[in-house]
Amino acid sequence: MKKMRIVNKRLDDDLLMKKRREVLDKWPTGKEVDFEEAAAYQKSLPDSKVWWKVMAKLREEGRMSVFPRAGTPVLEKMIELCQGLRESGVLLIPVTTDSYTRLGQFEKVQGILDECNKTGKALLNGYPIINQGVKQTRKLVESVDAAFSPRGVSSEICIASGLTTYECGLEFITWAAYSKKMTIRELVEKWQNETRVAGWYADRGVILCTDLHGWLPTAPFPLSVNIVTLILQALTAAEQGLKAIYPLVHCMGNMTQDMAWIRLTPKLIREYLDKFGYKDCQIIGCCPAQTPLFPNPMDMGGAFAYLCYIAMVGSLCKCNATDLRSIDEAAGVPTKDTNTVSYSAARWIFNVIREQNIDFHIKGIEEEEKITRMEVEAIINRILDLGDGDVIDGLIKAVEGGVMDSPWSPNITVKDKVLGVRDAHGACRYLEFGNLPFSNQLKEWHRGKIAEREKIEGKKADYHTAVRDLWSFSKGKIVGLPPYDK
Amino acid sequence: MSKTPTIITGTVGMDVHVIGTKVISRALRESGFKVVELGMQVTPEEFISVAQETKADAILMSSLYGMAELDLKDFNQKRLEAGLNDILLYIGGNLVIGRYDPKEIEPKFKALGFDRVYPPGIDAEIGIEDLKKDLKARGKM
Repeated sequence: MKKMRIVNKRLDDDLLMKKRREVLDKWPTGKEVDFEEAAAYQKSLPDSKVWWKVMAKLREEGRMSVFPRAGTPVLEKMIELCQGLRESGVLLIPVTTDSYTRLGQFEKVQGILDECNKTGKALLNGYPIINQGVKQTRKLVESVDAAFSPRGVSSEICIASGLTTYECGLEFITWAAYSKKMTIRELVEKWQNETRVAGWYADRGVILCTDLHGWLPTAPFPLSVNIVTLILQALTAAEQGLKAIYPLVHCMGNMTQDMAWIRLTPKLIREYLDKFGYKDCQIIGCCPAQTPLFPNPMDMGGAFAYLCYIAMVGSLCKCNATDLRSIDEAAGVPTKDTNTVSYSAARWIFNVIREQNIDFHIKGIEEEEKITRMEVEAIINRILDLGDGDVIDGLIKAVEGGVMDSPWSPNITVKDKVLGVRDAHGACRYLEFGNLPFSNQLKEWHRGKIAEREKIEGKKADYHTAVRDLWSFSKGKIVGLPPYDK
Repeated sequence: MSKTPTIITGTVGMDVHVIGTKVISRALRESGFKVVELGMQVTPEEFISVAQETKADAILMSSLYGMAELDLKDFNQKRLEAGLNDILLYIGGNLVIGRYDPKEIEPKFKALGFDRVYPPGIDAEIGIEDLKKDLKARGKM
């Protein structure tokens, strides 16, 4: 049977309303959500709690905030944790959910949450926002003067609670990083439904901001596929009425490359939004993110250096936010104290470096931008060909055919025919191209860069090089022979 | 004549961190083992039923999200009930939430039935050498 063609077109609101209730009916706290009341509550929030306004203000003032990760199951402890973040200068506060909530296992969560509440212990690795519900979570939002964002869950419980970003179906990150069997078609349908929910609120004057993660580079791997997904997400979200987005840029450790990507990504998204006629969808910032493998839990020095690196790169690129984990990221749930020291360190860099408004010139940055732009355009052109001009139809076919691909994928529907390694300067290059639609010129360019490393190491780069590179950044050495390579 | 041991790999519980099991699965295959690769988010029950079905000699589990202990609460009892007394059990990764000394958590997981417990970031080859040694000791290789 031929599958129905899914295209980039605004969804019908009558259908949407039914689906919204179905989603909320999955757990009793869903009953606490009244759509119109939720919109009214959102409108009553002060500017300091409205994510897109906070980010816009930071940009205007030439300042930046850290966007950390934090979540602990017991409400009172969560309030304390978030107050601690606010005291260390954080204006953008996460509500990181636990792993079971992310997978919709609310019954299991309830049992554990009851035990957490009884013993005061954090037995879940985050705040279970669905089980906590609207009434409880509003207490959290009203206890701290900052803007809140749910992490790892997409539900109108978050909107009704006064969180002012919306993770629209968690987008590519859910599909490619958290799902074993979800197909790209299922992802796209979910994405369209959820972005339309945010669009429904926008129609009522409530602008929810969505941060776009794209298809995560799970290991050292160039960002071009990721940037393509960011562009496609922006285009398809804008079609559903979303009005404020900002991209995360997953920094991989080579400073020239990271800065090139930070400069290029919002530029490219803007160009494509304008080209496709979505001029009223604003890009509210750009947020360098800490994505690759963390230093192990015992390496606190490495964890500090890693977060300061991202803060520094963001400061030099004049960003308005950075997406940072605490030094406890690898250890699991951060405590108030480790959050405080982590984010004070970042704030120190923001204050000292960001406010100097430094103009820099780094050799090689234009070339990195040029190469990434060529790769992105090659993939998008192929997607438009495959979809007869429709980005969604083309995207589905591109993923199914490996025209968009990622290494080390947890999702078994991904082709996984590509591989990345670092070059002689620690920059990420394609070792295996799979079906990525790149010209020979582009492929030769990558091969040339890898050849420089091969010359230094005296051996060909292969799968084993890629395996060793998995740990290179977290072990604190990305150039040349890794220290653990005997 | 020696038989080829069958090894099951996977990330336990609701954890999605799959790279470790991908790396070790390929390394095991290259070392001549028969590998049943279950990928991410494998329930303890699935490990047990696949072990029965494939008559596996060892299960190599990975976990990076700190909740392995919760996931594996009843695992030992269930695998003994399933008659898997003789299967080798290894686990590695970030096994508990918080900063810890790997030596301190080893007894915890040994009590849950595991023969070997590894901290994060160990080379696949180290685990494979241990596996060969343990399998030989049991006359399975």
